[in-house]
Amino acid sequence: MVFSSIPFLYYFLPAVILCYFLSPKKRKNTVLLLFSLVFYAWGEPKYVILMVATILSFYLCGLAIGKSEKYKRFFLILSVVIGVGLLGIFKYADFFISGFSAATGISMPLLRLALPVGISFYTFQSLSYTIDVYRGNVPAQRNLVTFGAYVTLFPQLIAGPIVRYVDVARELESRSHSWDGVSEGVRRFLVGLGKKILIADQFALLIQNFRQAQEPSVLFYWMYAIGFMLNIYFDFSGYSDMAIGLGRIFGFHFVENFNYPYISRSVTEFWRRWHMSLGSWFRDYVYIPMGGNRVNKLRWTVNIFTVWMFTGLWHGAAWNFVLWGLMFGVLLMIEKILPFLQKLPAALRHIYVLLAVCISFVLFNAESIAQAGDDLTAMFGFDGLPAVTGETLYYLRSFAVLFVLSVLGATPFVKKAANWLLPTRAGTVLEPLGLIALLLLCTGYLVDGSFSPFLYFRF
Amino acid sequence: MKKIGVITVIFLWVALTAFAWFAPSKDMSQSERRPLKQFPEISVEDVLKGSFMEKFEGYALDQFPLRDNFRTLKSLFSYKLLGKIDNNGIYIADGYAAKLEYPLNAASVNNALKKFDYIYTTYLQNTDCKIYSVVIPDKGYYLAPPKGYPTMDYSQLFNQMAKGMPWAKQVDITGSLSVTDYYRTDTHWRQEKLLDTANILCDAMGIFRPEGYTPTLVSQEFRGVYYGQAALPMGEEEIYVMENPALADCRVYNYETGKYCSIYDLEKLSGNDPYDVYLSGAQALLRIENPNAKTERELVIFRDSFGSALAPLLLQDYKTVTLVDIRYVSSQLLSNFLTFQNQDVLFAYSTLILNNSATLK
Repeated sequence: MVFSSIPFLYYFLPAVILCYFLSPKKRKNTVLLLFSLVFYAWGEPKYVILMVATILSFYLCGLAIGKSEKYKRFFLILSVVIGVGLLGIFKYADFFISGFSAATGISMPLLRLALPVGISFYTFQSLSYTIDVYRGNVPAQRNLVTFGAYVTLFPQLIAGPIVRYVDVARELESRSHSWDGVSEGVRRFLVGLGKKILIADQFALLIQNFRQAQEPSVLFYWMYAIGFMLNIYFDFSGYSDMAIGLGRIFGFHFVENFNYPYISRSVTEFWRRWHMSLGSWFRDYVYIPMGGNRVNKLRWTVNIFTVWMFTGLWHGAAWNFVLWGLMFGVLLMIEKILPFLQKLPAALRHIYVLLAVCISFVLFNAESIAQAGDDLTAMFGFDGLPAVTGETLYYLRSFAVLFVLSVLGATPFVKKAANWLLPTRAGTVLEPLGLIALLLLCTGYLVDGSFSPFLYFRF
Repeated sequence: MKKIGVITVIFLWVALTAFAWFAPSKDMSQSERRPLKQFPEISVEDVLKGSFMEKFEGYALDQFPLRDNFRTLKSLFSYKLLGKIDNNGIYIADGYAAKLEYPLNAASVNNALKKFDYIYTTYLQNTDCKIYSVVIPDKGYYLAPPKGYPTMDYSQLFNQMAKGMPWAKQVDITGSLSVTDYYRTDTHWRQEKLLDTANILCDAMGIFRPEGYTPTLVSQEFRGVYYGQAALPMGEEEIYVMENPALADCRVYNYETGKYCSIYDLEKLSGNDPYDVYLSGAQALLRIENPNAKTERELVIFRDSFGSALAPLLLQDYKTVTLVDIRYVSSQLLSNFLTFQNQDVLFAYSTLILNNSATLK
C-alpha cells in the first residue's frame, strides 16, 4: 500500500488512527504492529512471512548480544549475515549470477525472485539495532511486540527515513500524544502528499511522454533530465514528509531526511542534505568502522569508494547504480583533494553541483548503462537531434508553470515565505485553506487517475 | 485559529471517510459512460494472491464520494493554475475538446491494412465490385496544428493507406470538413454538417448527390465522450438528424438480433451515448433496405462509428446499404451473411480507429 492512494487515505489511515487512539497505552504498540503487518501484506501478502522471520531473527540476536558478553560478537556477525544474506538473496542474487555468467561464460539460471517491498529499509534498520546493542549504545529490546512494531512501523516501513532503533527506543517504550503533535503531523503529511501527487507524479508523466516522444530534441532531453531531478526529489522528500508527519501523529519523532539538497554548493554538501538517514547510516556503520579518514591515503581512498559503491548498490542491483555511487565517490575525492574548489564563486559551485547531480540522475534513471550513454550523448548534442521541436515546445508550455513552481519549492523560499506569512492575520486564514486545498486536490488527482508510481519501491 | 484550521481538515477527512465507507455504491458513471466497480468478493485465495487488494483499490477509486466533482476540481487546477495544456490527454481549443492522438502508430495502420487486404483477397478480388476507401480525419486534424498541439503524422497515414490499398479508389474528404463540423464534446462529426462530404463521396462513386435532406433537432442535452474524460465544465450540445421523405420508408435489418429497426433510434438519446441515435450505435452487421431507391445498386460499407451518421446520406441511389463493423464481427465470418458480386464497397475508417486498430477482427 502506498500513502498516496485512496485505500490508504480513506480506509487504512482512519481505521488505524481510530483503533490506536481508542486502545489503552500498553496496547498501542500492538495496534501499530498489527496494522503495519496489514499495511505490508496489502502489497506483499507472501512476504509477510519474510518480514516476521526478520523480526524474530533480529529480536533473538539482539537478546543474545545483550545477554552474552562471550558470544555477542558471534551473534552480531550472525545478524549481519542474516541481514546481508536476505538482501543478497532477494535483491542482489540475479545481479551477481548474471555478472558471474557474463564474466565466466558459465550459464547459471537466475532466481527471478520478486523484490520484497522496503527490504533495504527494514533490513538496514534491523542491522542498526543489533549493531547498536553490540556497541552498548542501547539495551536489547525484550518485548517482541515492541521490537516488531519498530521494524514494521508502517509510516517508514517502505520508504524510510531509515529510523535507527537508538533514535526511537525511548518513544517505543513510552511516548506522549498531544494535539500539537497531531496538528503538526497532519500538516506535514499533507505537505508531503502534495509534493508527491501534485508535483512528483506530474513530472513522472512528463518523463513518460518524453520516453514516447515522436520528435525528440536536445531541449526535450534536458527537460527530461531536470524533470527527473525534480521528480525524484519531490517524490522521495514528499514520502519522507508523509512518514515524519505520520510519526508525529503517533507520537514519534523521526529523523529528517532532506534539507533542500539542490541549494548545495558542493557534492559533499549535497550528500549532507540528500537522503540524510542513508548517508549517516553508511557513515556510522560502514565508513567509520572501516577507519574513516583516520587511515593512510590509500586505505582512505578504498574506504570512500567502498562506501559509495555500496551506496549505489543499495539503490538497485544494476551497474548503473554502482556507477552512480562511484561517480559521487570520485567527485567527493576531488573536492577533498582540491580544496581551492571551495573558493570558486558561489554561483559557479552551485551550477557545478546541479550539473553533476543532473548527470548522475540520468545515469540513475536509465534502464541500462547503454541507455544512460545514449541519453547523455543526446543531451550534449552529439546525437544529431534538432535543438528543439514542436512537440518539445508543447510539453515545455504545458509544464512551464510546474517547472517554475517546483524549482521554487526545491529551495527554502517557500518555507521562508510560509514562516513569514503564517504568524500574520492573513496566514491564520490562508493556512487552513491551504491544507484543505491540499487534501481536496490530492484526492481529486487520485480519484481522477491511478498514475501514482513510487520511485523508491524498488529499493 | 491554527487549531481550527487543522480541525477543519480533520473534519473534512472524517466526513469523506464516512461517505466512502457507508454511502451506497453506484452502478454507472454517466460522465464516463462505464459501469463502476463494485466491492469485490473476499476469498482467502484472492487475498493471498493480492488480487482482492487490486480489486478493492479499483472499487475505492470508482465509488469515491463526489467523484465527478473531484475529477473536475483536479482538471480545473491542472488547466487553470498549473497551466497544463491537456488533461488526461484531452485538450480544449476554441471551445472544442479533442484528444491528443499522437504519435502515428504505423504498426496499427498496417494491422488495419492487413485486415482490409484479407477482406479484399477473400471476398472482393474476383468480383465486379467497385471499391472505394475514405479516411475520416479526426477533429485534431483541423484543431491541433494551428494551436501547436502535437498530432500524428497525417500525411504519412494517408500515404500509408493509399499504398496499402492499391485496389481501392481513395477519396479525399479532408477539404470538405472543418472543426465546426464536429461536436465540441465528442469524437464524432455532426451529421447535419456532412452534406459536402457526402457530395464528394457520391461524385467519386458515381451516384446522385443527397437531395431533400433537412435537419431535425432531436436533443439539446448531448455531452460527448470527451466531456467525461476531460472532466471540465462544458455546455450541452444539440443533436440533429437529417430527415428525408425517402428515409421514412427505409427499414434497417439487424443481422445480430434478426429484427428490423429504424434509421434513427430516438430511444438512444436517453441512453449512455446519445450519438447511438444514428443506426442504433455500435452494431456488427446492418442492412438498410430502401424501397424508393433510384437504382438497383447495392452498397457495402466497412465502417466504424463515424459511418453511422454518414450512411443515411448515401443511400438515395442504393436499393440496400449494408454496414459491416469488423470490430464486432470477425471478417472471417462475413461469407455466412454476405455475398459479394457487383456492389459498390466503401471502406470508411477514422484516423482514430486506424491509429488504434487492435479491435479490428
